[in-house]
Amino acid sequence: MQDLLSVVTLGSIYLLFALGMSLTWGTIDILNFGHGAIFMFSSFTAYLVLQQTELGLPLIMLIGLIVGALMSLLIQVLAFEQIIKRAKDKRAAEMQILIGGIGVAIIPLAIAQHYTKSNPFGFSKSTFKVNTWTMGDLRITNIAALSIVVAVVLWVSAAVWLRRSRQGLALRSIGVDAETAALMGIDRRKMALATMAVAGGMAGLSGVLFTFGLGAITPESGDTLLVKAFACIILGGVGSMRGVAFGAFFLAAAETVVLTQTSGSWVEAVSFGLIFLVLLVRPSGVFGRAEVRRT
Amino acid sequence: MMSFYDSHLVLFQATFTGLILALSIQVPLRMGVFSFAGAGSYGIGAYLAAILVIKQDASAFVAIGAAMLATAVIGLLLGLLIFKLNGLYLAMATVAFDLIIGVIAINGGKTTGGSTGLYGVITDFTMSQLFTITLIALVLVALSEVGRTGRRVDAVRDDPELASSMGISLRRYRLTAFVVSGALGGLAGSMNVLVRSAIGPLDIGFGLIVLGLTMIVVGGSRSWKGAVIGAVIFTWLPDVLTAIGAWQELVYGIVVALAAVFLPRGIYGVLVDLNKGLQRRSRERHDPPPAAAEEAAGDVDPTTGDVRELALNEEAVP
Amino acid sequence: MIWNARRAGRRKIAGAALTAGVLLSMTACGGSHAPASGKGLPAEIKLVSVNPTTGVVAFAGASANKGYQLAVKEINDSGLLGGSKIKLELKDTKSEPQTAASALTSAISDRDVAAVFGSVSSTEAVAMSPLAQKQGMPIVYTQAGSHGVVVGDYTYRATPLMSSYYPIISKFIKEQGYKSVGLMYTSVTPTLQEIGEKTYPQLAENLGFKITKSIATSATTQDFAAPISQLLASKPDVVAALEVGASNPTVMTQLRQAGYEGKVLGNSGASAGNLKPAGKAADGMVWPADFNFQQSAASSQKFVAAYRAAYSEDPLNYAAEAYDAAHFLARSIAAAGSIDRVAIKDAMKKEAAKSFDGALGKDLKWVDGTLQVPGVMVEYSTEGEKLLYEGTGQ
Repeated sequence: MQDLLSVVTLGSIYLLFALGMSLTWGTIDILNFGHGAIFMFSSFTAYLVLQQTELGLPLIMLIGLIVGALMSLLIQVLAFEQIIKRAKDKRAAEMQILIGGIGVAIIPLAIAQHYTKSNPFGFSKSTFKVNTWTMGDLRITNIAALSIVVAVVLWVSAAVWLRRSRQGLALRSIGVDAETAALMGIDRRKMALATMAVAGGMAGLSGVLFTFGLGAITPESGDTLLVKAFACIILGGVGSMRGVAFGAFFLAAAETVVLTQTSGSWVEAVSFGLIFLVLLVRPSGVFGRAEVRRT
Repeated sequence: MMSFYDSHLVLFQATFTGLILALSIQVPLRMGVFSFAGAGSYGIGAYLAAILVIKQDASAFVAIGAAMLATAVIGLLLGLLIFKLNGLYLAMATVAFDLIIGVIAINGGKTTGGSTGLYGVITDFTMSQLFTITLIALVLVALSEVGRTGRRVDAVRDDPELASSMGISLRRYRLTAFVVSGALGGLAGSMNVLVRSAIGPLDIGFGLIVLGLTMIVVGGSRSWKGAVIGAVIFTWLPDVLTAIGAWQELVYGIVVALAAVFLPRGIYGVLVDLNKGLQRRSRERHDPPPAAAEEAAGDVDPTTGDVRELALNEEAVP
Repeated sequence: MIWNARRAGRRKIAGAALTAGVLLSMTACGGSHAPASGKGLPAEIKLVSVNPTTGVVAFAGASANKGYQLAVKEINDSGLLGGSKIKLELKDTKSEPQTAASALTSAISDRDVAAVFGSVSSTEAVAMSPLAQKQGMPIVYTQAGSHGVVVGDYTYRATPLMSSYYPIISKFIKEQGYKSVGLMYTSVTPTLQEIGEKTYPQLAENLGFKITKSIATSATTQDFAAPISQLLASKPDVVAALEVGASNPTVMTQLRQAGYEGKVLGNSGASAGNLKPAGKAADGMVWPADFNFQQSAASSQKFVAAYRAAYSEDPLNYAAEAYDAAHFLARSIAAAGSIDRVAIKDAMKKEAAKSFDGALGKDLKWVDGTLQVPGVMVEYSTEGEKLLYEGTGQ
């Protein structure tokens, strides 16, 4: 049972992180390699602010959210928009965006590494204290519970928004056919900016929650999560909201099983192996739409 | 007095092996196959060569040959397995393949040396041999970019439907891409371990993919010349940046980001454009042509060419 | 994570007895005390430190460089090398093996460079050692605990292997009366892997305790909740967690969240402020180290005093190790009486046959090119690291 709880907690972190990536990749075709850097740097900014003044949990979460959204917007305007403007075709743009994201991500990483000397940093100065609740044999921390709640709420609202609202429809139409969408009067730029901001905010929020949950992270933490997020998205199917949730919890479960049943050093092979297998058997992912052209 | 060459020997070596690594990712890319399997082949090649030298006392050439052969075969098998995938999906599958190689290296026990890796890979492999082999590989790759092969490769990439309607077997071309990429990756890895004498799991991680990809995207992804430019820049840039001290990583990131954003066809593309611009200007000076025709000519990208037309001209070939 | 767990070392040479010893050995060598003339030492002796000061292992490289600089200043002031002065050049490896190898190659081709201080990082060191050995460059490492670092008579490591002093933890285990241990270790670094897979089973056999569960974690494990709940489910008396530096605050936080209140047997990677983010949760982690600034040896305290005077902070093990490495090299150069690399290599061999007092303790010995130390047992608390006891030597 305790293991199940660990799986749910870990899965909700993966979900929070992967949700934003999946959103941008599935709708506006941006696979943002800078996502990990946004995640880390939002948390790092909150850490820096905490060095100056004491803050409670809500404000720290707000900082993460805002910094994440701003960084994401900045990357979109300064890098990705420029790339798309200059790219010859969609495939070239995809690759440039990949590399651009990698390049951009080095910048916040270098700044954080410089200040921390790659030592871990955490929120020990915050006024918020992590407590553990016990229910029989089960133990859960308030921050883990919060992570689960936040992940589920965000996921549900993202899914509902995509499915029900006019903007959601517009966004999905961009994902299917950008040109027709534009003809129908959808302002692609505005939609893209909004999506990036939302995705960045999610990354920032997950960074803060992750840091609270683990006690500390290092500047390199974001990169590790990046590959896992890929695995989640591919597993579930790009663009599918149900898929990314499935991917996140499935990956968390698979990793936990491997970690606890074997000596543990094969855990990394799980995410990579899963990516590989799922692509072989079902390239569009478990919940992927049959064939949205995505070359 | 120390000579520049001696003191920068490692960087010269790294330029050559980095170039081959870049080519192993560039060749499939040029054929429209978005595969990063070259990095995984690099890891396999490096480990295999190291094991052969340490355990079997193999000579440098045997080790390199065996590594290339093995990685070419693995490339073929991998290609057979996943050649139906496209675009980013293919990219992700090959990234997964690369990372799995790394996990195997960590878990390989005595054979791969676990987290320490393998060291003490000492042979009589010389710098001139390294140079010669690199040159041969480079010439072979360059040859595939010109003439009939070059046009067919371009056709396969830019318009697969057209190419297949012309009787070019897409499957065969794509599999070739996997095999060549595997062999080049194996070559780069085995030569690297022979000059560096050590290999560990950390040397073949995600960073390797990023490095190879950065080289060709910034250098220019459509020509071997781009790979050369990229390999030189990203091998030497860190050394140059050492001069600026603590913020070198930051500058490195900014350089990569700027290049990715503003040079979509890489530095090589910019050079081609510059060259074209110069030629046009000198031509205009001598013989002002009808403006419209000139504009149209200028719009054709010489690196891609108008593939459709070139391919059609080749129609004669069955 | 790239790198190996950190250890500590200490040694310090500035003791008067030592200087006398060095003078003696110089006399024995033919008294080349005359400064900078003839075949003797040049006025300026160039040494290069090839260490990471940026990138993931920057904290260790930067700290080591402080130790080198302090030692070089002392050596130059002491007149150990006659009128000659050491000039120390710092080269940043950026935590990359290739850059490290490149920096070493350029040092080798510069005939003015007498010797090199090698990188703290195992992956970098393994890339450097074959070059140094093959081309005859004396090199002294600190940290770098993997195999393939000390490969011949040109290569030395002024840091003991963790597995050589880790067994001093036996006393702690016995005192506390632990009968069972739940073990978690990372397979990322050779050092910690060895402690987890060899040292602990050996200790268990010697001391008669039981390992209830042994779990290896991987490089991408960031959330330790699952392995921790497995460990605790096996009901051990005490938990041993051997993780790389940056993971330690997380491990401690999550252990406490999982309801574990006891001590945690760790490794010295947790030092250097790494546990700070965990706050109170980190109290009660204990580990054997090769150096702690509170250790009693006179030569250690002399180093600590000099370090505090120079940098206004307490020295870390990296600085202590580097300090001893620099003094070892300086003694060897003085004994060689020249900056000829072969002569220095021969002199290092003779020096390594002697024991000495340094920052890492007294009566330190070299075994197969690696320094041995008694070690100290440290307990962490939010107020600072507490010295539990010191090793006795053997």
